[in-house]
Amino acid sequence: MSVVAQERLMQVLIGPHVSEKSTIAADQSGHVVFRVRRDATKAEIRKAVEMLLDVKVVSVTVARMPGKPKRFGRTMGRRQAWKKAYVRLAPGHEIDFIGAE
Amino acid sequence: MASTANVDVSVEAPGTLQRRMTVRVPSDEIEREIDARLKNMRKTARLKGFRPGKVPARVVRKRFGGQVRSEVLSDVIRTSFSRAIDQERLNPAGSPAIEPLTSQDDHFSYRAIFEVYPEIELKGVEGLAVKRPEVAIEDSDIDAMIDKLRAGLATWEAVERAAAPGDRVTVDFTGKIGKEAFEGGEGKDVPIVLGSGQVIHDFDKALKGVRSGDEKRARVKFPKDYPVEELAGRKAVFEIAVHRVEEQVLPEVDDEFLTNFGIEDGDIEQLRSQVLDNMQRELDERLRSHANTNVLEAFLDANEIEVPNALTEQEIDFLQAEAMRRLGADDPEQAPARELFADAAARRVKISLLVQEFIARQGLELDRSRVEERLDTLTAPYENPHEAAQLYRSNRELMAQVESAVVQDQVVELLTERARVTGKKMTFDEFMGTAEAAESG
Repeated sequence: MSVVAQERLMQVLIGPHVSEKSTIAADQSGHVVFRVRRDATKAEIRKAVEMLLDVKVVSVTVARMPGKPKRFGRTMGRRQAWKKAYVRLAPGHEIDFIGAE
Repeated sequence: MASTANVDVSVEAPGTLQRRMTVRVPSDEIEREIDARLKNMRKTARLKGFRPGKVPARVVRKRFGGQVRSEVLSDVIRTSFSRAIDQERLNPAGSPAIEPLTSQDDHFSYRAIFEVYPEIELKGVEGLAVKRPEVAIEDSDIDAMIDKLRAGLATWEAVERAAAPGDRVTVDFTGKIGKEAFEGGEGKDVPIVLGSGQVIHDFDKALKGVRSGDEKRARVKFPKDYPVEELAGRKAVFEIAVHRVEEQVLPEVDDEFLTNFGIEDGDIEQLRSQVLDNMQRELDERLRSHANTNVLEAFLDANEIEVPNALTEQEIDFLQAEAMRRLGADDPEQAPARELFADAAARRVKISLLVQEFIARQGLELDRSRVEERLDTLTAPYENPHEAAQLYRSNRELMAQVESAVVQDQVVELLTERARVTGKKMTFDEFMGTAEAAESG
């Protein structure tokens, strides 16, 4: 892998996403949920997770989350949209975010 | 942890007052408490990404487990410590130093190191040997005091004779070390009272015998302990011009003199009795505080006790803070060294321990009316004594100080009643001198 490609992978993952839904997903089917760059592809996410966290990935699904509309005085504004990735790990692999945050 | 079971304690005594206590608490008791608290927390914990009250137990434990554990441990230590103290009938002085031990098998254990109050066996409650100074104010003492008053109102009168000790000489001077002038080496129209220690010894000597209008060159040597470091021990030459030599003239004791003391139309006898009153009051005050310290001193000598370091340290802190306040310093860097207070602090702690023990043994009770009396005398100098008294009453710390002073007085009185007092005749001057030395010492 070229250095450029590797650098790109370093930037793909923004952070873990911890929520009620993500804990349920982790408990039921061994998913971990990340906040990722908006232009990240599933293939990139898979590679990035495997490289940075040293686990085996079974599948990746993504969801584009619209930013929440926020009122700023009289004008309406909108928060930045973002992308969420559900990464399913192979059985026996796991990552533990809780408490690290 | 409402368990009523005894705590597992072992106590060692490495010193007379030191105690090393090892306490063991079963681990499951601790784990149970942690679980209970986490369960409680689930209902209120707020975590981003979770609705309040919907945070899974697993997440709560991960997130707050460590924090809760240390909270529980410190609680456990606190409660088990006080239970252990009860159980072993220990009376710790100051707060313990606690160190957790590496937990083995199914117990959490820690070691607490602290000091205990000494067991005091009061001695010398009966027949304490105390010397009491017996001081009478003689006529000559009053004469001396009136002379002092006259000196305070003295005037200066120019004379043409040679200056003698006690005279005031007004001079200009310029001093040089080698050829160099130095700071503070020059003065104009400076009045100097000969023999008063106002200037360095050599300078004083050079002025002895000068007359008005004289000019003189004096070689002087600064003493080694002179406060200005650059000058200490150096030799200097002063050019001195004498303007005036004056002698002290004491005012006659006449009507004019008397008016200065608020006696409009009276005679010297009235002043004498006024002076006597003042002296008597001062003497009584001194005698009381002297007797106070004397009795306590004797009591202290009769009871050699060891005091817990922790208390002495506390007392040192207190004395240090007090000294700072007196000096008006607020920079902790400038605080006088702790060592300076060590002896005084140890003494004060000893006295307070003895006094407390005495109170407990004798069933002595605080005399409320005397507290009021003392409050009155304390607040009398204020502009608004009533308000000041209120201020005292509303401040618990101040009240405690007043009360402990009263109790101490009561104790001293009781001790004095039972003491073997031997009188010791002293003159007024002698006594005032020693009392002063004792107080500053």
